[in-house]
Amino acid sequence: MQSTLRNTFRAAGLAALLTLAAATVASAQPAGIDPQATKLLRASTDFLASQQRFSVESRNTLEVVLTSGQKIQFGHAARMWVQRPNKLRADRTGDLVEQSFYYDGKSLTLLNPGDKYFATVAAPGTLEEMLDMARTKLDIIAPAGDLIYKNAYDILMTDVTQGFVVGKGVVEGVLCDHLAFRAPHVDWQIWIQEGKEPLPRKLVITTRDQPNAPQFSVVATKWNLKPVFTPQTFAFRAPSGARQVEFLPLAKR
Amino acid sequence: MNVRNTLKAAAVALSLPLLLLADISPEAPFGLTLGREATAIVGRPATPMSYAGVARRTTARVVTTEAVVVSSAAAASTAAATSAAAAQQQAVAQQQAATAQQQAAVAQQQAAVAQQQAQAAGAPAIGTVVPALPAGCAAVAKGGVEYYQCGNVWYRAAFQGNNLVYVTVAQP
Repeated sequence: MQSTLRNTFRAAGLAALLTLAAATVASAQPAGIDPQATKLLRASTDFLASQQRFSVESRNTLEVVLTSGQKIQFGHAARMWVQRPNKLRADRTGDLVEQSFYYDGKSLTLLNPGDKYFATVAAPGTLEEMLDMARTKLDIIAPAGDLIYKNAYDILMTDVTQGFVVGKGVVEGVLCDHLAFRAPHVDWQIWIQEGKEPLPRKLVITTRDQPNAPQFSVVATKWNLKPVFTPQTFAFRAPSGARQVEFLPLAKR
Repeated sequence: MNVRNTLKAAAVALSLPLLLLADISPEAPFGLTLGREATAIVGRPATPMSYAGVARRTTARVVTTEAVVVSSAAAASTAAATSAAAAQQQAVAQQQAATAQQQAAVAQQQAAVAQQQAQAAGAPAIGTVVPALPAGCAAVAKGGVEYYQCGNVWYRAAFQGNNLVYVTVAQP
């Protein structure tokens, strides 16, 4: 079935040149959620949740749609260090931001090294609570942060109405299972490494309720499941000359 | 100001929603104005992928920008009403929707201009958030805090979500 679907897409891709694509692809998409797709997804999220420490390097791509409808793409390289249950560090650098994120189990700090500004705020005691708080109280988004949650499966599958296995794919030279899901306002695809370490290798989120459906994608270029951390990995120390500022409260009604 | 800087400033402003976009657009070269960006996380009702979530975030963020939001919302509802009324005659409805969209765009532009004029006439209200400082500001340290003095307007840097922004404050 998997190879069938991918073959169908491949045929459709070729057919696209012949303008036959739409009908062919439409017929290729199964209704409902294929249990094989959720099984593969759950294997991956459970595997990642069971990793007490890991680090990952990734390449993120963000699309912005101009009001003219034209799409502009921005890229960032990111590194993330995670130690469950309560430590996270993430660095991003690229077209739009240079930013580091520190969480040591007690506080959360955002640092823009180029601007030399940072802000620190008290944070809850677990990764999951901290991510919730960062998102809902401060509007700080950890890109692809969904995957870090221990209950990542439930978060990802919220409101999903369709899901299927596209087939086998290759990401950064690694053979993967390629899954596609659909929820009311968003489509997303995930590529999961085949074998005993079912790591997510790529995630694409299509924001369908925006004009021209911009996409965010993250490709994991390097996973390390046995990283060596030091206290300095997660503890924020202000660089010399860095200035402390505040977080603006989210809700002003 | 090159295109990338403009886009960067505008993208920073993206999550600060509509009005700031309108603020930026008049300065953008080649008529570049930003729509929306892709969502970077999946799932849960409170995340930006949720339509209601977007509305909530937008509302929460609009502090100084009610005029524009109201006018574009009004334009949007006009458009919706127009479309609904014309539902039986689809061709007509499409035309009207297009017209309404144009009207909405015009309303937004007008509101942006009005905002600019208001700012030109007097200082922005305390608590106004901008994605970038205007030209010709001087950094002034007072009481261990760094301020930016831009004429008679004072700013402090702050984080709004992931974005570094500047907020108008009373003269320290």
